[in-house]
Amino acid sequence: MTPAIETRGLTKRYRKVTALTDCTITVPEGRISALIGPNGAGKTTLLRLLGGLARPSGGEVAVLGGTPRQNPAFLAEIGFVAQEIPLYRRLTAEDHIAVGAHLNRRWDGTSVRQRLESLNIRLDQKVGTLSGGQRAQVALALTLAKRPRLLLLDEPVAALDPLARRQFLAHLAEAVAAGGLTVVLSSHLVADLERTCDHLILLAASRVQLCGDIDTLLAQHQVLVGPAKDITAIERDHTLVQAVRTARQQTLLIRRNGPVIDPAFEAADVGLEELVLGYMGQAAQPVPAHLTTVGEDQ
Amino acid sequence: MTWLVWRLYRNQAYLAAAALAVFAVLVVITGRQMASQYQSALASCAVSHSCSTLASRLTLGTPLLSFLVTLTVVVPCLLGVFWGGPLVAREFETGTSQFAWTQSITRGRWLTVKIGWALLAAAAWGGAVSALVTWWSSPANALNQQNFQAGQFDIQGIVPIGYALFAVALGVSAGALLRRTVPAMAITIVVFTFLRLVIGQDLRSHYLTAVTIINRFGHHMRTPTGSYWLVSQGLVGRAGQLLSAPTLGSGLAVNGVPVSEMPSVCRPLAFQNPIKLIPCLASHGYRGFFTTYQPASRYWAFQGIETGIFVLLAVALIAVTAVVVLRRDA
Repeated sequence: MTPAIETRGLTKRYRKVTALTDCTITVPEGRISALIGPNGAGKTTLLRLLGGLARPSGGEVAVLGGTPRQNPAFLAEIGFVAQEIPLYRRLTAEDHIAVGAHLNRRWDGTSVRQRLESLNIRLDQKVGTLSGGQRAQVALALTLAKRPRLLLLDEPVAALDPLARRQFLAHLAEAVAAGGLTVVLSSHLVADLERTCDHLILLAASRVQLCGDIDTLLAQHQVLVGPAKDITAIERDHTLVQAVRTARQQTLLIRRNGPVIDPAFEAADVGLEELVLGYMGQAAQPVPAHLTTVGEDQ
Repeated sequence: MTWLVWRLYRNQAYLAAAALAVFAVLVVITGRQMASQYQSALASCAVSHSCSTLASRLTLGTPLLSFLVTLTVVVPCLLGVFWGGPLVAREFETGTSQFAWTQSITRGRWLTVKIGWALLAAAAWGGAVSALVTWWSSPANALNQQNFQAGQFDIQGIVPIGYALFAVALGVSAGALLRRTVPAMAITIVVFTFLRLVIGQDLRSHYLTAVTIINRFGHHMRTPTGSYWLVSQGLVGRAGQLLSAPTLGSGLAVNGVPVSEMPSVCRPLAFQNPIKLIPCLASHGYRGFFTTYQPASRYWAFQGIETGIFVLLAVALIAVTAVVVLRRDA
């Protein structure tokens, strides 16, 4: 099966800055992928490249088996909600439903009405007067009305309160469960997405740090807690992601290449947040990556 | 897409239609009064055989309304500022271009339909205002014969359509380049005003080679007829050279002839006894007077040329807009 998204060496440079460097990722169909990274990591750039709103400076990108571009057949398969949730502020939700009907060949306006009515969002109110959360719901419902095969959402839950956040993600999960839909949604907070997503793309400092199935990634990593001793052997056998040291103790995040047999260390499973923070810390202090040190006791 | 354009801009369209309707009512009522005033003046001057001096005696309409009509010179600029400037800039600014460009239509289609309707509306609205002004001005045109005068030429006929198309194209392209509405509006005002002034003042009189009449002293004087455009006039020198004071500030001039060019003997006559001036000049070898002008029959040629220039500029700006919008990232 063709993956929904496949990029190789994808790079985007703006005049002075490189927003995305050598990005190679694969997102299989039917997944909900969390695009995680600190602010300025390149999340928006990646989403815009995938949605055909920006052109790559280098590398290759295939979305649903084709190149993202301004072509009605491609655009019909893509749903995109930008970070600032741009809608025509003076138009009502009902107007937007009509806009969608005019600008798309495939369009399910009824689903939008049902969805918004169930959320008690008025269809005849100008969207500029709705709350940020309501606007996000309107934008998602409108995007889903295209019946897209790939949904690209840039920080969709940032504007939502915790309850609306849960509703929004539940709605998304429902849409994916119905089949034929892949989702990539970005956030700078892991906790937002942990419940919903089954795939992870971790960006930091414009580079991909991790990409893959979340369960697999978690199984590949381990936290080792032990005395502050020499760890050359561990570093030789495994990949050290992050080491946090105090005078007496050190905590290591490693990517395993087989079982850890050093009895001095206690091994524990890693949580998604821990994993993400470990890699982000590594990216923040890249040289030398394995010597990342946190703590005041030298 | 047309539906979206209508939905987004219908309030502006209603406003423009209402403003046009009010203006039309004013113009039609007063225009009819002026036409009948002019007709009765013509009838009475025909009786007293004084029609040749009618223009100096008759004032048509009221100064206030004439001022209002003259103000329509800013209509194209307003269209450029309020219709052209925000057309794409507002969408970039609010991000709605990203919404529009991820529906199932191309950017090219989005841009074509938006610009197409904006240009069509500007041409229609600018054309309607101009048609009203042209009709309203017809008695004054016939009376004063100053159709070529800046302020008349610029608000009548087809040039306002060219200006309106250019202004909107200018606003759209500025918006596409700057991606900000207010700066795009400001640029539109500045560039439009500058180009209009430069073209009107420096270029327009050169569209076609002017005609020169030379009236030798002692011969029957021939003068241009109708609403001609006087370019320059003056004296034909001893060697047949044309002596004139084409610009202000170059000293005293009588009928365009700089006093400094006259023989010193004749100079006082220009002020004291103009009738003796000609024999005096002739006796010093000057040959006659000349008049250089654009004939009245070229009015529509000039209208066409100026409209063409602005339409071509508009086309170039639209091309720039298309390149910028289609090539650049959203």
